[in-house]
Amino acid sequence: MKLLAAEKKVDVRTETVDFDGQSALLVSVKDGSGIMGTCLAGYLGTSGSTNSRTRLFYIGNDPVISMVCPNRGNRQSDKLVSFSPGFQGYDQKINGALTNSFNRLNEGESLASGLRDIFNLLSDGVYVVYYSDYYPTDGAGIFFWGGYNISHEVRGTAEYNRAIGDRTFKPCFLLPTQPMDYYAARTKMGTDDLVKKRSVQGIAYHVTGLFSALLKGHHGAVSCVDNNLPFRCAVIEKITEPFTDKAYTVPMAVEPPEPSEPDNTSEEIDPEAPDAAARIEVSAPESEPMTEPVIAPPLNGISGFRSPSVKIPLRAFPKDMLRQIIEGRAEYKPKHFNVIAAKLQTIRRKSVNNNVLPYSVLERVERMPDCEMIESAYAIDSLTDEQLNCLLAGDVECNGNVIVSPNFYSSIVTACSFLQFKDIKRFVDFSIAILENPELSAAHEYVARRVAGQSENKKVFNFFESVVESADPKYEKFLATAQTFVKRWKNK
Amino acid sequence: MAFCDLKSVCAADDEKGISYILGNVFAVYEIGTDAPLVYGWDMIKGVEVSSKDIVIETFGKKYTISNKIFSDEEDLLRAIAIIECHQKDYHFGYAHQRRLFPLKSSYVEMSPGKETYIGEDILDEGDTAAAFIMLLNFKLVKILWLIGVAVALVTFLVLHLTIGVTRTNVLYFLPISAAAGAIMALVVYLITHAVARGRFKRIADADCAARKFITFVVSRQGFAACESCVYESRDLVPWTEMEYFIESDKMFILYKNNMPAAYIPKRAFDKKHVGAIADIIALSLEQR
Repeated sequence: MKLLAAEKKVDVRTETVDFDGQSALLVSVKDGSGIMGTCLAGYLGTSGSTNSRTRLFYIGNDPVISMVCPNRGNRQSDKLVSFSPGFQGYDQKINGALTNSFNRLNEGESLASGLRDIFNLLSDGVYVVYYSDYYPTDGAGIFFWGGYNISHEVRGTAEYNRAIGDRTFKPCFLLPTQPMDYYAARTKMGTDDLVKKRSVQGIAYHVTGLFSALLKGHHGAVSCVDNNLPFRCAVIEKITEPFTDKAYTVPMAVEPPEPSEPDNTSEEIDPEAPDAAARIEVSAPESEPMTEPVIAPPLNGISGFRSPSVKIPLRAFPKDMLRQIIEGRAEYKPKHFNVIAAKLQTIRRKSVNNNVLPYSVLERVERMPDCEMIESAYAIDSLTDEQLNCLLAGDVECNGNVIVSPNFYSSIVTACSFLQFKDIKRFVDFSIAILENPELSAAHEYVARRVAGQSENKKVFNFFESVVESADPKYEKFLATAQTFVKRWKNK
Repeated sequence: MAFCDLKSVCAADDEKGISYILGNVFAVYEIGTDAPLVYGWDMIKGVEVSSKDIVIETFGKKYTISNKIFSDEEDLLRAIAIIECHQKDYHFGYAHQRRLFPLKSSYVEMSPGKETYIGEDILDEGDTAAAFIMLLNFKLVKILWLIGVAVALVTFLVLHLTIGVTRTNVLYFLPISAAAGAIMALVVYLITHAVARGRFKRIADADCAARKFITFVVSRQGFAACESCVYESRDLVPWTEMEYFIESDKMFILYKNNMPAAYIPKRAFDKKHVGAIADIIALSLEQR
């Protein structure tokens, strides 16, 4: 089926809107060709039971990413994600459109004009586009390209993340749109030089939760990691979700409850803005961990529509774009859905994993922030040394306030993730202090595994070396981890 | 969500100067206001669908959308389908009149599989009324016998008390009593038939789907009996939603909570497939 052959005029309009001191570049697509996008595929035979509904990211006639959404598609449940075995390689014309857009962005064209070929491939709706830095991982320390060969639950894929809540966030992990067997070491050698000159390393389309599908730039991602360069992508997100400004109160407080301003914590969406990770720090929440939100009845309707990264009030939308969102549905099945659905039953014969990539790349992605770290940055504002000392003493409270959570193990996990994300030095010190304390042995295995990710940290090596040499029984829970770390260090 | 691709419905009330849009959200455009009032379906308290209007109640306001302002019946059916699908997800109150086909909230989107039979037809009033009567007969047959016997005995007793039974007149009294019982049973039967037909007509008049082409689908995964203008090819009611079925010469009647939930006429399908369809239904549901 020649998808682009039967082209009809797609009505694409772009407009920058300003609201509350922020701005966002909006793109409306009417009579879209629907060549690329997400759609629901219902309860497929592959999903097992009628409790799990399937959602797809497709390009052309090919299913690319298959997501099994458990609990009848519950928005708070993480999805089982896999690279679809039905993928057979999309049309050369689609590939050409992606390449043209990518080249134009790197030639200095704006997002609106640079991505016009890709906008023609989208389904009807209103989109927001911006630049953001991505971690080319699956959110668990594995390089994204070969990380989805087998369907597995991927943390951070839920549409609604409990740690993030109603705040805006920038997706920062990736899903591939090409199978790993497309990787060629020779191409990577070429991109190693190119990535140093490029201002944009990839183009991503937001799919679910913290994850976007990388449309262009797979080899560049390998090169960027290998050369320690940030992986900056042009991101396309669909605006569909209504949001409401809710009044939050503190039920336990003595003072009269005051409504907070949830929008103040939301990130500014400047289309040209850089770096997701840095911005997460800026937008770290100010809420108290124990504060329970009380939602006031929404009497006057919703406040606006949002995508993951931006909340736009109704009044800020151009009238026609607002009408388009209201009249549109969140997702449409493409006309050729039956062709895509038929391919879902395919079983992949050839499956290449990440081992074809250079070892340095695999090692570096292990040290990149993972989903737990990103979530922890939203869950807590800051951790003082006093609070860390309380945690080391086995307390979950400091000066009468819960530090992270009433659950000790959960507090340790979140604190480690938070420190690892914000301050590696404090993370290493805190982790070693936990591992030295035999009373906290329940957390030893997890913390040791976590700190072992710091494969180039001399302090960690010294500690693990002393553990291996001492053979003290208090270290028995993470002795194997320490031995592996020391062995790897010495083999470098 | 089933029916997730349904186009949103826009209905304009020129008298009030208000336009309503039912889709992913419920929006109200009032003349003279800058921005519309938009409600997420989680903000809806309840919806009442009647033959005259659709009443949507939010936590602060109540909107009455007359059925007349929809440009055609297809728009009305689509609006009802959208409401029912969101009702399944957001659990707001939903009141509706009795329907001839399953609510859209019973449907789930699934792959129908290879052994799927699809037909399309308008529900025949005569056939469906006959099915109604047949179902009534199942319940009435014992009562009719009882009425017949009781009336016969009472007639015989009355004759005995007024005239007195003798050896000569008993041969007249017995057939007279039996005839009285039979006539009474027949009268009751005719009345109940009229009531059943009237009842069906009332339901059919209230449900505009009765006048529309209906797509019938039977597969191993489930079935569908849905207005063709609304139906999307992958939405089915799983068999587990139904309890049992009754087969008449003209249709299959599927039951839920001891009430007929769907009428699937045999003539909607190719004759050669009716046997296979009966097999699928019999394998999926208990037959009574």
